[in-house]
Amino acid sequence: MIAQLNFPSDAPATIGGLVDYNPYAVNAVTKTWLYEPLMIRNGITCKVTPWLATDFTWDGGATTLDFTIRDGVKWSDGQAFTAKDVAFTLNLAKQYPALDRAGIWTDVFGAPAKSVTATGNKVRIEFTGNAAPKFDELIKMQVLPEHVYGKVGDPTKYIDKAPVGTGPFKVGSYNGRRLELVRRADYWQADKVKVQKLVLEGNFEAAQAALKLKSGQLDAYQGEIPNPKRAFIDADPKTNHLYFPPNGMTVFSPNVEKAPFDDVKFREAIAQGFNRQEMSDKATYGIMKPASQTGLKLPAAANLLPEQYAANGGANTVIPFDTAKANQMLDAAGYAKGADGKRTTPDGKPINITFTVQAGYIDYQSMAEVIVRDLNAMGVNSKVLATAPESVDAQKKSGDYQALLEYLHGGCENAKNIGGKLASNQIPTKTAILGNVERFRDASTDATVKELSATVDEAKQKQLVGTLVDTMMTKYPVIPLIYAPARIFYRTDKAVGWPDEANPYAQPADDRLLIITNLKPAK
Amino acid sequence: MRYFVRKIAFFLATLWAAITLNFIIPRLQPGDPAEVMVQKLAGKDAQLNPAAVQAMRAMLGAPDGNLFTQYVSYLGALAHGDFGISYTYYPYPVTEVIGQALPWTLVLVGVTQILAFVIGITLGAYAAWRRNTRFDSIVTLGSTFIGTLPSFWIALLLLFVFGYTVGWFPTSGGYSASTPGFNGPFITEAVSHSFLPALSLLITAPIGWILGMRNTMVMNLGEDYIRLAKAKGLPDRVVALRYAARNALLPSVTGFAIALGGVLGGSILVEQIYDYPGMGRLMGEAIGNRDFPLLQTLLLFIIVGVLLANLVADLLYGVLDPRARRAQS
Repeated sequence: MIAQLNFPSDAPATIGGLVDYNPYAVNAVTKTWLYEPLMIRNGITCKVTPWLATDFTWDGGATTLDFTIRDGVKWSDGQAFTAKDVAFTLNLAKQYPALDRAGIWTDVFGAPAKSVTATGNKVRIEFTGNAAPKFDELIKMQVLPEHVYGKVGDPTKYIDKAPVGTGPFKVGSYNGRRLELVRRADYWQADKVKVQKLVLEGNFEAAQAALKLKSGQLDAYQGEIPNPKRAFIDADPKTNHLYFPPNGMTVFSPNVEKAPFDDVKFREAIAQGFNRQEMSDKATYGIMKPASQTGLKLPAAANLLPEQYAANGGANTVIPFDTAKANQMLDAAGYAKGADGKRTTPDGKPINITFTVQAGYIDYQSMAEVIVRDLNAMGVNSKVLATAPESVDAQKKSGDYQALLEYLHGGCENAKNIGGKLASNQIPTKTAILGNVERFRDASTDATVKELSATVDEAKQKQLVGTLVDTMMTKYPVIPLIYAPARIFYRTDKAVGWPDEANPYAQPADDRLLIITNLKPAK
Repeated sequence: MRYFVRKIAFFLATLWAAITLNFIIPRLQPGDPAEVMVQKLAGKDAQLNPAAVQAMRAMLGAPDGNLFTQYVSYLGALAHGDFGISYTYYPYPVTEVIGQALPWTLVLVGVTQILAFVIGITLGAYAAWRRNTRFDSIVTLGSTFIGTLPSFWIALLLLFVFGYTVGWFPTSGGYSASTPGFNGPFITEAVSHSFLPALSLLITAPIGWILGMRNTMVMNLGEDYIRLAKAKGLPDRVVALRYAARNALLPSVTGFAIALGGVLGGSILVEQIYDYPGMGRLMGEAIGNRDFPLLQTLLLFIIVGVLLANLVADLLYGVLDPRARRAQS
């Protein structure tokens, strides 16, 4: 047994005297250890681990989803957990849309549900149409006890001070700052939980977090620390580790409605001239690798690569830095260099790019500097404009920008990830930011994404993802630059069995329940 | 009497203007609280989940009516002491959230401000009295130099040295394992936890007072009434304290009152570095989360604090210095 592990508080805010364990509250004291999801899907490998549900099946294309609910699970007050609790929680999200984080009852990515019913140990969700992309968020819904939350009225306004969960821990004590969680001996997989006590305390900025980790006052940290090798690993490489698998990628997102970015040839040419390795060095201290133009996170998603790009595990799809080639392609596409070394559009108009970046996103800002320097080296006259992140959000909505940095998620529902970046119904509106910030429009891509949201067949999925990958490789709607990680820093002096490259069993930032059930005492 | 009436009328007019600005400014800002909150919960490197944004919007609610009816109902709610519900700490009301943070900041920043004032005035007065001596040069040059160092940098340095390298003081939070309340272990923890943040603030805080006090007093020391007092044969101590320092203190009183009013704002950077549960930390959070109800109330507290302190200083000034009263009436 591991006597105690120390993590930072997982509540996002810091005034701790206001107790609330409601997992759907913005600032719950802990969102992780008391209430549990149906299943956990590792965002890196896409493997599904059964949790409160043991099994699922899709029927009727992707219109009906059946879960088998685990037997023998007990709430922390001793009552039995049943399929009724699951149906209760999902139906609660219908009654109170504020609970519906997964969009089960809305038409966000897939058709809305029309009914959720429990019979025996089964829960059946019927949708009004195909709803395959809802799966990842749906299984994350944390199940609430009907015998408690059924009596409290609006659950989003309910302050939960005496939590009744199915999770591996229960509250030992909380003094407004330090939450001590103790292991539940009657947890349904208690044999896998080797941590006797979990202490969650404090919200730390990066410098503090690094010092606390180094001194052993923290055992793990899932936030950002600049220059992690120097700040943490080098102090004791035997004990101090990090695991930063690619979870998505930072992409150069041009506004493809505006010249010169409306020209595929122009986008293809500049994609050749970016020094991705230097961006990696400057923004991530060389930890995150240059990203593949396919939009897939490699190597984890290499199995989805279509045949023509699959050589070397997709290594050839990472575009090498070659200014000369970029210049050649720009010349060929008609973007002639003037006497001052600056290019003009084929019809002779000057090109002036303002690259927008969020002020205060240090890694983005250092990447933006490299981007603008590289563009100027290609003869494309450019400058950086750093502005408040909210202003950048406003520009994403209005479309009033030329180019900026965006995140392309590499999760498992590709209809939402690459699909959400390319489908024309995902272009941001005046009031909402959606994925297709670059405003790419292509009817056949829309059809592919629609087909992809309707299928749960793996071979079919691979074929359709392949079509989207091909669009990325030939149309350059966005230009991937470097991978973005899911992060964890950890120490192995008390506990071992953390996820790493050799054993990537968990997405390290999100799948904390998976991690805790894999930790073992250090010898 | 007219002097006081005018000052109070001015106070009320400023208060109204401040409340109105406080209502308008957040509404002019870009940024949708629901989107900002969901993005923040998910992290910067995460795709915004539109379903989660819709859910968050449903939870926080949207304001009803046009801007004018919103303004009227805002004034009405304020008059009833209803400051709304915080977005970040939903469903807790803003007043409860502030109630948690206020005592920490009042003690930490309040005590350091008073100490800074006393230290600053004393050093400044002594430096002026001993002007052009070695003591004067050290104090004046030293504080000019230290004054250029930002307090968060000092805070990081102290944290590294005293918190981690020698490990004399706790490094984060306002307390750790004890239960808040009036009990020995808690008070001991609270004091030891606030030592480094207080020191970080206290190194730079007196500098304004030192330089201000020294310069005014040096000017006063050149006045005829000082020469007269010296000619009368009064002891140095009396001349320095009762004549020169007392007069030189007057401008600092106003400044001190305003500084005390500003205490409510806490110290954003230092509180963040030490993970201190005070108003500065809360303010940083409210801005970061676009928590408009919380932000508005915090700003209102600070504005009212500064205005009240200013009013008291004005009134006090009228009492302390009869010339001010007469000149304006």
